[in-house]
Amino acid sequence: MTMALSQLRKKFEQVGYICDESTVLTVFLALDLQKPLLIEGAPGVGKTEMGKVLAQILETELIRLQCYEGLDETKALYEWNYQRQLLRIQMNRNLEDEQIREEDLFSSDYLLERPLLKAIQANKPAVLLIDEVDKCDPEFEAFLFEVLSDFQVSIPELGTLTANKIPVVVLTSNNERELSDGLKRRCLYLYLDFPEVEKEVEIIKAKVPGVGDRLAWETARVVAGLRRQQNLRKKPSIAETLDWARALVALNRNRLDGKLVADTLNLVLKTHADQQYFNKEIGHDGIEKMLKNSEDGGEVCRCQ
Amino acid sequence: MSIKNDLYKSHESRLEENIATFADLLRQEGLPLGTTEMIDALKTLDRIDIANRSEFKAALQATLVKSYRDQALFSRVFDQFFVPPEEYQKKSEQKDSYRQQLESQISQADNELMFKGESLQLSLNELQQYSSLSQQQREGLQDFLRKTETGKNVESGFRPLLETVVKSHLRYCRTQEKHKQERHNYGEGSEIGADSGSDDQNLREMDIEAIKAADMPAAEQLLKKLSRKLAVKILRRRRTGPRSGPLDLRRSMRDNMRFGGIIFNLKHKPKRRSKQQILLLCDVSASMKQYSTFVLHFLLGLQEVVRNLSCFSFSDNIENLTPELKGRTDLQHILDRVIRQSKNWGGGTDLGRALFEMVRKYPDLVNAKTTVIVVSDTKTVSIDQALDELKKLNERVKRVIWLNPLPVVYWPDYRSVNKIGELVEMWPCSTIAQLEEVLTGRL
Repeated sequence: MTMALSQLRKKFEQVGYICDESTVLTVFLALDLQKPLLIEGAPGVGKTEMGKVLAQILETELIRLQCYEGLDETKALYEWNYQRQLLRIQMNRNLEDEQIREEDLFSSDYLLERPLLKAIQANKPAVLLIDEVDKCDPEFEAFLFEVLSDFQVSIPELGTLTANKIPVVVLTSNNERELSDGLKRRCLYLYLDFPEVEKEVEIIKAKVPGVGDRLAWETARVVAGLRRQQNLRKKPSIAETLDWARALVALNRNRLDGKLVADTLNLVLKTHADQQYFNKEIGHDGIEKMLKNSEDGGEVCRCQ
Repeated sequence: MSIKNDLYKSHESRLEENIATFADLLRQEGLPLGTTEMIDALKTLDRIDIANRSEFKAALQATLVKSYRDQALFSRVFDQFFVPPEEYQKKSEQKDSYRQQLESQISQADNELMFKGESLQLSLNELQQYSSLSQQQREGLQDFLRKTETGKNVESGFRPLLETVVKSHLRYCRTQEKHKQERHNYGEGSEIGADSGSDDQNLREMDIEAIKAADMPAAEQLLKKLSRKLAVKILRRRRTGPRSGPLDLRRSMRDNMRFGGIIFNLKHKPKRRSKQQILLLCDVSASMKQYSTFVLHFLLGLQEVVRNLSCFSFSDNIENLTPELKGRTDLQHILDRVIRQSKNWGGGTDLGRALFEMVRKYPDLVNAKTTVIVVSDTKTVSIDQALDELKKLNERVKRVIWLNPLPVVYWPDYRSVNKIGELVEMWPCSTIAQLEEVLTGRL
């Protein structure tokens, strides 16, 4: 599992996850120190993707736990297969010579493994992605402490189960609520922001086959311009930028203009209020201005 | 080889000491750093190239900082603490020059503060304090000394009394300056205050009263964003697991009739959720105007999700703002109108009377389901009556949350703050960040 920093950097490039140096370093430290990595940031900056990418880089299984309000240990850790236990008792009633013991009913045969237990029991270090941890209840967050600090879980009927191999744990949060100090203390912290225009151009080029330099630059420029708008309810994510770029390639376009942006707007702005705001406050002129600024900056020319 | 190792070890221990000092500085700035973070930070040293400044900074940041809000603070303290050699040299020179300047100022102060040809017996700190006064204030003191010197019946024995007066005056000036500085720091952080529009993070940390007119649209936008975030949180669909509530025996038995009465599938009762009822009481006396406007802005953004939201303004009596505010979207327009029409806006405060009126006129709003949010600096006439009424209100409602815009450093100075704080939970809310923290954490 240990990997040099330069090697990790190279692997990130190979799988097409473009990020800055401090991100690579933080991930490297989390892997090396075997600490969970807590990633915060706006929706759509690539937090969940980081978990997937790590599983790809480490060539291991990705075990995902999607958090939501009301999530409890029966959904996250383990559950006894109640129906199967009942069936066993019923079947045993008819067999007089075979006595059933309590231990038989609470053995691993009747245990339903949920993501946390699965990650701990795995024979090869897995990547455990605990997604949107801010959406779970504080009680569940406290329950995670044992897993994250000691990589072990306690099951009353079976005792304490310690990890066979320490999993790589990635927690993501949209920062909807402040996480507890206890949880933060157990993790290394990484804040992902929307990428700079240059980085986003690299991402577009890596992920969208057939996209031209000019189109990639103009798309990234316009998206960055839209993200700067304070009044937008939902800022375009990287995934939306990529969808937009793919759509433009499918339309055989090699450059943007105000009309084209307006026609394909629903791929980037996904609420009615945002679209109305765009039409009222930005419009064709605003887009032309963003594109003109990009030309004035000389970035497009440099690329061609 | 062993000399080299020893050298390396000595460097390493110095670095560890430096990191411990650095962590201590961060703690003083309010970062909650524990031993775990320190151990993690030290462990990273073996794994990175410590000569690479950006790598070193990123490693410390990943291990010591656990919130994006603290990243700017970390960066500032890091840049001040881990100074590159050339910059350190420059700073040392600046320090020397400052020391020389200080010495000359003190000597000048010593010459200026004379009584009957002799310098007053003042400490170095007092002389320094005198030097930091404005030209006008210094001349005022000198003039006072000159006039006293030429007065009737002034003898040399008068000197100790005069020294006490000068010292008291300097102490007064220092306290004033300290309060001014604390208020400034508390609200604005250390590097803010430019005339141009500030960014979100700065606005969040800025004292609401210090937000300039140019920044108001951005601040309102920020409030809108925060209240939308809170609304999303409240509105989020609550997916509950099958075992959300207690066991429902009746449903379990009915459902399992098909299995011959063997309880095969367990059925649970859903968790009960009581509806939120929020009663907002905004102090709109002169000192509270801007804070109350901000809280109103914030909570009005929740109207669409918290249906039972009632807003009242109070100073010496209460006024129901709810009908004005319900169902409208242009908050600024409504607020302007409310401010113009309100009888209370900008008057004095009689909390006791306002609370008494509240309970008497609107008993339906004051029940066990109600969370009361009071926005006030606690400055009121007849505090004892106010405490009695608050106690009664507290007994009738689910909870009372008091948002106090006074900076926390001043809280011990006010009896009303201490007394009210003993009765209900009180939180500071002089910045948007604090407002967000209190409301998102407690509603």
